[in-house]
Amino acid sequence: MESREDRQKTGLVFNIQKYSVHDGPGIRTTVFLKGCPLSCRWCSNPESQQNCPELAYNPARCLTLNKCTRCLEVCMRNALIRKGDAFLQIAQEYCEGCPMPCADVCPANSLIVYGQERSVDDVLAVVEQDEAFYARSRGGLTISGGEPLFQGDFTVALLREARRRRLKTAVETCGMASPAFVCAAAPLLNNVLFDIKILDDRMHKAQTGGSNVQILENFCILAEKFLNLPLTVRTPIVPGFNDTEETVAAIASFIARYPRVRYELLPYHRLGTQKYNFLDRTPPMGEVKLGKDIMPRLHSVAENVLHDRLRNLQHCKTLSS
Amino acid sequence: MYTTTCECISPQEQRLHDAIVGKEDKFRKSHSRVFRLLERFECRKPRIDIERALYFTQSMQNTEGQPLVLRWAKALRHIAENITVHVQEDQLLLGRAGCDGRYGILYPELDGDFLDIAVRDLPARATSPATITPEDAKRVVEEIVPYWKGKAYHEALNAALPPEVHKLTYDDPQGLVSRFIVNETSSFRSSIQWVHDYGKILKRGFNGIKKEAEEKLSALDPLSPRDTCEKKPFLDAVVIICKAIVLWAGRHALLAREMAAREKNPTRRAELLHMAENAEHVPGEPARNFYEACQSQWFVQMFSRLEQKTGTTISNGRMDQYFYPYYKQDIANGVLNDEQAVELLECMWVGMAEFIDMYISPAGGAFNEGYAHWEAVTVGGQTPDGRDAANDLTYLILKSKREFPLHYPDLAARIHSRAPERYLWDVAETIKYGSGFPKLINDEEVVPLYVSKGATFEEALDYAVSGCTEARMPNRDSYTSGGAYINFAAAVEMALRNGRMKKYGDLALGVETGDPRNFQTWDEFWNAYVQQHILFLKSAFIQQHIIINLRARHFAQPMGSAMHDLCMKHCVDLHQPHIPEGINLGYFEYIGLGTVVDSLAAVKKLVFEEKKLTMDQLITAIDANFEGCEGVKALLRGTPCYGNNDSYADAIGREIDKISLEYAKKYSMKDLDIHNDVRYVPFTSHVPFGKVVSATPNGRTEWFPLSDGTSASHGADVNGPTAVILSNYNTKNMGMRDRAARMVNIKFTPKCLEGDSGTEKLVSFIRTFCDLKLWHVQFNVISRDTLLAAQKEPQKYCNLIVRVAGYSAYFVDLSLDLQNDLIARTEHGAL
Repeated sequence: MESREDRQKTGLVFNIQKYSVHDGPGIRTTVFLKGCPLSCRWCSNPESQQNCPELAYNPARCLTLNKCTRCLEVCMRNALIRKGDAFLQIAQEYCEGCPMPCADVCPANSLIVYGQERSVDDVLAVVEQDEAFYARSRGGLTISGGEPLFQGDFTVALLREARRRRLKTAVETCGMASPAFVCAAAPLLNNVLFDIKILDDRMHKAQTGGSNVQILENFCILAEKFLNLPLTVRTPIVPGFNDTEETVAAIASFIARYPRVRYELLPYHRLGTQKYNFLDRTPPMGEVKLGKDIMPRLHSVAENVLHDRLRNLQHCKTLSS
Repeated sequence: MYTTTCECISPQEQRLHDAIVGKEDKFRKSHSRVFRLLERFECRKPRIDIERALYFTQSMQNTEGQPLVLRWAKALRHIAENITVHVQEDQLLLGRAGCDGRYGILYPELDGDFLDIAVRDLPARATSPATITPEDAKRVVEEIVPYWKGKAYHEALNAALPPEVHKLTYDDPQGLVSRFIVNETSSFRSSIQWVHDYGKILKRGFNGIKKEAEEKLSALDPLSPRDTCEKKPFLDAVVIICKAIVLWAGRHALLAREMAAREKNPTRRAELLHMAENAEHVPGEPARNFYEACQSQWFVQMFSRLEQKTGTTISNGRMDQYFYPYYKQDIANGVLNDEQAVELLECMWVGMAEFIDMYISPAGGAFNEGYAHWEAVTVGGQTPDGRDAANDLTYLILKSKREFPLHYPDLAARIHSRAPERYLWDVAETIKYGSGFPKLINDEEVVPLYVSKGATFEEALDYAVSGCTEARMPNRDSYTSGGAYINFAAAVEMALRNGRMKKYGDLALGVETGDPRNFQTWDEFWNAYVQQHILFLKSAFIQQHIIINLRARHFAQPMGSAMHDLCMKHCVDLHQPHIPEGINLGYFEYIGLGTVVDSLAAVKKLVFEEKKLTMDQLITAIDANFEGCEGVKALLRGTPCYGNNDSYADAIGREIDKISLEYAKKYSMKDLDIHNDVRYVPFTSHVPFGKVVSATPNGRTEWFPLSDGTSASHGADVNGPTAVILSNYNTKNMGMRDRAARMVNIKFTPKCLEGDSGTEKLVSFIRTFCDLKLWHVQFNVISRDTLLAAQKEPQKYCNLIVRVAGYSAYFVDLSLDLQNDLIARTEHGAL
């Protein structure tokens, strides 16, 4: 593929976050893509799930309708509804395909558009701003989401162009993707962070909305065919779903077959709650929290199987801010 | 912006929590002596000791009419003969400038004209208070102040400023209240930060210097009027102070021997005798071992504080270099181990912590909150030959910083492109401790700049960090006047108000650039700003011209000059305006960069480009302090901001920087005979400066602090720490040499530096900072929760240390304004 063609390809991006230091080696920039085939109940980036732009509303920033009605004045679809005296409610169903001028005129940035069509060139221009830091830290570009391979053509183009520019690349994937994209992306990657949430497919379907058969197959492709590609499996430990010793032991044993694969446990957190509120959605997990001593216990279960291939327990899954 | 569920706190926070629940400090056992010393004064309000001022004044009264340098030397001799000497329980070093505990001393030659008022107000003032006994206050009023009325430096400066400069400098005819626009700082201290060549004294002793002076005296041409009237008094003064410091040390030795005779505990008796032996030998003679080297340096440092008020406290220089030969020799001979070496160093740290650099004037106090101090100890860097300089002593000093919970001394680590990984790792681990040490100074910026200003590579490579962010070449640098601190946010306000400020009413302080409502283009507004900017620079440079010449008539420093190669060579005091062969590295401060850039960017974009606001709407909102204009305020806050690696904002920052650089280039060497370079280091002045500036077009409300140094406005940096660093880089004009330090503050959550991988990433961050050739960076590693808790329950957090400007201070010693300012600094973390 020609560089020019790759550079012009566009994808739906909802955030580019500098100074990501917990997803892959070194100091990195994470590009968050929209759209995911799964809909995990604990998802901390709810704005990443849909594969179209979404309008969200942060009432805390709103100047209130008593003082400012700029958004109401420009809305062409009657999608903004008064909620009480002062605040708004968004009728998302009317917003599809709308250029969302309401967000442009909002002086306080209380209306947020999640998802912008951006070209590979444009995205890399932002990523390359921190090039000086990658050079010293062996960091680089991480593509996250959503599921990066959900926009497979764009992701492959982005990776290919990034490699042309000598950037180090990584993806954070839920594993649910077409094997063709997995095979196309793999040679362009320096690192893969691969989620395996649970081995029991019935449970998987119930909590993520998808089967894990394809996920595990893709994992095997990466682990067996791309022997030079550093691969880390990650399991978000979610209360009431996979926070048991048996579940973790099973995943660890599954991974143990592939000696170069590393493993990492991530504690469930509720930092995405606010974004559910912005999107006028109820966080499916409610108030539930992880048991206090559960992480160290599960960590030692995994350690018994994988020894030094287990990464230190220290951080949480990437949250797009 | 980023938060985390996983708890993680810095070692300093852990230590505080342990103390709150009553656990013993884990390093207490291995550092028990210094912990005992520390506990005697920690968290206490300092006392004023008047002896130095009293003896200084007595002597000056009796030497009227003689050459100033000679009078100063005689005054020092009088102090050395009469000041109370102390031997402190548990201390291993001798030499103090005042009473037991935390203390400050007075310098009436600077501010004697208002010392009486100041002494009255000092105990109750909001920033950096101090106590004084009623008897001492009375002696100040009756025995010290009367002599200085009409003679103090501050009075002379106040009288000498032309009216148009005076009105931007002071708010009252006596010059007691600052205008906080073009603020002079030369009356806060007789000299800006300085560092001595301590290594010279360790090698030669003051007797060696005295011999040199005597030889020069005998070689003078008795028929030459210059030799007789200028060189002779200088050399006589050098001989006097060389004897005076030896005499002062000797009085300590005597006292230590007396106390040894009475001491029942044999261990302490032996210690006292050892101390007496040291003080009988140094600083007169060369040091023979590590202990003597420490004692010699300590006497020099403390006597230097008696000599004059060096702004920001006299610095300690490259301690890991000049002490190293003594350390190495003693270790090789088996007479010293690391624990003993650290104990001696920590005895110095404690001694430094007890001395408070008092700023008597209210403006001085507000600029230097929390008992500011910068006795910078420099570690690392390169040798004069350009090799890496880190050694075992470097690592020992860094380790002491992690184990002994004290914010003295201020520690500076030099960074260069070939700094070994071990060194950077230790530096990063020390930063992670969380008390703000060390600050980092970059050889890759400082060395080439100094060479471009006339230094040799050897001199430039051997620079020592001095004061807040500065670098000195102790035998080549020769500039000591305080420079102007300029409030450029006031220039923005004046551009909006036709040369006026809300705080000062209808008085036209600036250039009357017209009503901006009539401006048609951005260029017109920009020009209005530039005219105010140039007026401020002009005023600052006139101030400086007066200061440089005035200072020589008010101050002398025979001891500091005796330690300077050029002063000795040419027989001239360091306070003289011109030292032959010297390089005068001066500077003035640009305060409020973030505030100004963000304000100008907002005006440019919203009023002139997008036309979302009219100038009238903007001014109306600013006049109302945004009350009832929340929409306008929100709009203003949404425009491009400095600190985000945003090319729109950064381009404005670079243009602003260039105006100052070009002015400096044109008028520094030609008119002032100094490099009056552009610097961005506020200390804590961005707080009082903010208090005179009304609301600004970046959405900042009136009287709120300005942005500090080259950091972003509060909370405006939303793209993480790499963007803060890059904006700094983007706003520099690398093609010009007329620049000095830029200060950058970065606040990290402990979380994002957690574990070895966190340290590794911090090391990469530091290496990139070095690659970008930025002058300075410093870090606070602390969680917001801890700061909020400390504000609520200060008694529990009385030893929480935070980094303020180029120094660290106890958080609870800071004013509420500054505490809030620190809390509002954006916290960088990532999940």
